[in-house]
Amino acid sequence: MNRAIAPVAVVLGLVGIYLSGNDYLINLGVVCAIYTIPAIGLGLLFGRCRQISLGHAAFVAIGAYVAAITSNEYGIDPWFSVLLATLTGGLCAWAVGKLMFRLSGHHLAMATLALGMIVHTVLVEWRSVTGGPDGTALINPLVLGSVDLMSDRAFFLLGWGVACLLLLASDNLIRSPFGLGLRVVGESESVASSIGIKPNALKVAAMTISGGLAGLSGALYAYWLGYISPDPFNVAFSLKLLLIVALGGYSGSWRLLVGVFFVVVISEVLKAFGRWDTIIFGLLLIAAMLYPQGWLGGMFDQFRQSRQATAGDKRGELN
Amino acid sequence: MDTFFQILISGLVVGCIYGLVAIGFTTVYNVTNVVNFAQGESSMLGALLTATMITFGFSLLLSAVCGILLVGVLNILVERVAIRPVGKNITKGILITIGVSVVLQGLAVVLWGTNAQALPTFSQQQNFNIGNVVVASQALWVIGTSVTLMGGLYLFLTRTYLGRTFRACAMNPDTAALMGIPAGMIRGLGFFMSGGIGAIAGIIIAPMALMQYDSGAALGIKGFIACIIGGFGNPVGAALGGVLLGLLEAFASGYISSGMKNAIAFLMLLVFLFIRPGGILGEFDKVKR
Repeated sequence: MNRAIAPVAVVLGLVGIYLSGNDYLINLGVVCAIYTIPAIGLGLLFGRCRQISLGHAAFVAIGAYVAAITSNEYGIDPWFSVLLATLTGGLCAWAVGKLMFRLSGHHLAMATLALGMIVHTVLVEWRSVTGGPDGTALINPLVLGSVDLMSDRAFFLLGWGVACLLLLASDNLIRSPFGLGLRVVGESESVASSIGIKPNALKVAAMTISGGLAGLSGALYAYWLGYISPDPFNVAFSLKLLLIVALGGYSGSWRLLVGVFFVVVISEVLKAFGRWDTIIFGLLLIAAMLYPQGWLGGMFDQFRQSRQATAGDKRGELN
Repeated sequence: MDTFFQILISGLVVGCIYGLVAIGFTTVYNVTNVVNFAQGESSMLGALLTATMITFGFSLLLSAVCGILLVGVLNILVERVAIRPVGKNITKGILITIGVSVVLQGLAVVLWGTNAQALPTFSQQQNFNIGNVVVASQALWVIGTSVTLMGGLYLFLTRTYLGRTFRACAMNPDTAALMGIPAGMIRGLGFFMSGGIGAIAGIIIAPMALMQYDSGAALGIKGFIACIIGGFGNPVGAALGGVLLGLLEAFASGYISSGMKNAIAFLMLLVFLFIRPGGILGEFDKVKR
């Protein structure tokens, strides 16, 4: 029963936003959906498995560019190009994971940071394919039957439909033996090995899933905006994704949305502060680390625990 | 041949700066096990603070000393407020120091804007010739200061009591604390020194390369790569790695193309991470899981 509260509340909230007909709110909602999809993957990788990725924007960028290039240059059906983008994101993440998970800690962080920067540089410099810093426009829109999905309203439904399905799936996944395995690896790799879990295999699997979801989100973003450039896929984007996972209490499921709403709303509010916005963002990142439960996720936990009045599992604690 | 020497000197200059930044990383890493991702910001802040002091009419030396001390004190504050509470948690340490660097860059934009600031060269004479090779006077300042600083640091760590307590903390902070060494203060000292060294690097390179709010980030990444090349946690390796990286970059941009400069640095990072993550001088076992 309790497990149904969060999804139902989220869906009711989304329906409310959609019915309100407020264009600004719906636009923000689409942005939230686009952040949610890669955050789910990162929730598995960083939240559950505790493997840091400072270059996650790279996979989102790869998804966006694969979708744009395959549909523009090769005339591939847009839906199929979204699928291709997802697969490419997953494949790249798999390859990267195979290489990178030989490293850990600081070295892993720097290597993923370098990966993000390398991909960004390639997108800027490889003009003949990516269009360079000016970016590239998407010619073919995403169409369902006769409905053009470029509008905010249509995209709101599509984005949140996908996001909710993925949230349900990841919620199930983290309760499955696979998800529990991820958590064991995150807590202690030696313990994981001792009970027959291969830490590296699980890390690579989590990386592959998260890369695929990042690619999917990138493709959807590209079709929604109809135009992509390398600029949005920077380190700050990767950091925002990490902040979302941290604020959502390092979970891979519905509580992520707390982080998503917080980060998106904060980014909106901070626009009013002009040059102070990055400072406030940095302070938030520090504060989120110093208060490990993630303030809002933690409050949610306390609320739930006080209702259940049981010693539930203390999730969301970063050792 | 003249081109060769010209490139050699510019490579050495850049290499010295990378080496100093790398030593800054090492100083913090050894006593706290934290990789300070905000290391490059010390150089940026040092240079910008000094430039501002000079515009207020203070002498270059006084401004530089003030800049170095301010950055050092700022680093102590950052350590106390943001880094000490998370203890040995690597992931949190990384994200917090990244947060610090975001905040410092943002502050620099608010205080100085996005325009580059210039420092005057340290000596009146701009250039002089050795044979057909033109050497900027500032290049000598950079190399001289770096070598002196590195040598002084070496003497400090090996010959003085404080230096020895510092090394004791680097080996094992808990045991050092049991021996009566104030480990908390040594942590602070580590951050102060790394901030000061970073600031010096920023100040001496500023007359040759303009400094602006985001210059520090690039320096920080190069310094980290130098650490990986030389062996993380080894100050001698850090200096060596810095010089090596500087020379490689200079020769790559001199003989191949200038666009290759950053590619070389990242390539070196990946090669060393995957083939020899312990660096040239470091121990492999330390980084291997």
